Amino acid sequence: MVPFGGWEMPLSYPGGTLAEHRACRTDAAVFDVSHLGTVRVSGAGALEALQRALTNDLQRIEPGRAQYTHLLDLDGSVLDDIIIWWLQPELFHIMPNASNTQRVVTALQGTGTAGPTSAVDITDQRAVLAIQGPRARERLEPVTAAAASVGRFQVASFEFDGVPCTAAGTGYTGEDGVECAVPSTVAGRFWEAVLEAGVEPAGLGARDTLRLEAGLPLHGHELGPGITPLNARLGWVISWDKGDFTGREALERQQSRGVDPVLKGIAVQGRRPPRAGQDVLENHTRVGTVSSGNYSPTLGHGIALAFLEPGVATGDRVEIDARGLLLDGQVVELPFVKRR
Amino acid sequence: MGMNVPDDLRYSADHEWAKLEDGRVRVGITDYAQDALGDIVYVQVPELGSRVEKRETFSEVESTKSVSDIYAPVSGTITEVNSELADSPERLNEDPYGEGWIAVIQLENASQLDDLLDAEAYRELTSG
Repeated sequence: MVPFGGWEMPLSYPGGTLAEHRACRTDAAVFDVSHLGTVRVSGAGALEALQRALTNDLQRIEPGRAQYTHLLDLDGSVLDDIIIWWLQPELFHIMPNASNTQRVVTALQGTGTAGPTSAVDITDQRAVLAIQGPRARERLEPVTAAAASVGRFQVASFEFDGVPCTAAGTGYTGEDGVECAVPSTVAGRFWEAVLEAGVEPAGLGARDTLRLEAGLPLHGHELGPGITPLNARLGWVISWDKGDFTGREALERQQSRGVDPVLKGIAVQGRRPPRAGQDVLENHTRVGTVSSGNYSPTLGHGIALAFLEPGVATGDRVEIDARGLLLDGQVVELPFVKRR
Repeated sequence: MGMNVPDDLRYSADHEWAKLEDGRVRVGITDYAQDALGDIVYVQVPELGSRVEKRETFSEVESTKSVSDIYAPVSGTITEVNSELADSPERLNEDPYGEGWIAVIQLENASQLDDLLDAEAYRELTSG
């Protein structure tokens, strides 16, 4: 167990990170992601408050759907990346990263919308289990058919042991899957039921190698102070035509100035894992820094996400300085591993 | 969990094992070390013929978690390296005292072995 944002989290279960990773790519794995916060946002002003605080446009979706979005600082830095579950017209569950829950509550209270808005941290009332992998739905079906059939980026309610729960077709592995929020009172029984259904328990280690292969950002590495959604090449989470939102002006200035650096993928030759903080070189000149790196269990070689000068193009040959040893690499399109 | 600590090996406090074989010393990492590191995905073995200094880095092991320096338990010249590890670094996890050996060092000074821990002392070190 390791400390993670105030939570005790397993890095891996006895099977080990590589076996857990493979289970998720070929069958099904379950991650306890209760450390993600849940903020219950409700009231007549809730929609407007979220529209003003966050970058994406909720008018693109509707109740019963989920959306990925960003909370920005005034300078455009990504304070947090968030999944919204839109449950009812005036009821949302906002899921920030472990340590950012209070920041999100504060941001929503500060939008000054006309209608009443309530934002309550309900993180300690529920557990969230992410069941992911090509056979995740099939395995989950006998436990809860309603959750197993929720569509991609859809949200649905289901019952477990007679207790109301929520499921969404979301995840962080690059695989199809379902995330289930269940009240703490039944969380242990739900976890056991999922394991009995043949789903492999997986820890933070596999979660990281899976999201890295899928090219998904991790707050604190690919998102954070000094990094905007444009730097992280997540421009699609910004809605330019929905009106004002926190950080918008800074993003407009950045766009007219030119985005530098930009996040790219690097595939290296050989098994040695690149690591965060290592320099990236092109023609012996430093052109950027690795933000996350590891060994890709699926591909059998090292992979890295790196912030690079905008002139570095896909296909370019680069080197990564791994503690003095130069790893040969090539800039590649993301994701490293595509869903089959 | 009970870790395997064979009686016939010597150990460093940095979790390397050393096995004396006719004036040469076969070296690897202990069961305790491989368990703590997690799944090992890459091993940088030393160069054949190179000279290594006791307690200095002579190998690097990368797991899915982190990179770790491996220190030479004795000084000497590298006479053998385990080239199997290039494609099968998981041998360190599966068989740390057997097929997961890293290198063989031609011992210069036999008294250096006396500075290493015996199995009982190493068990004590890792039981806390």
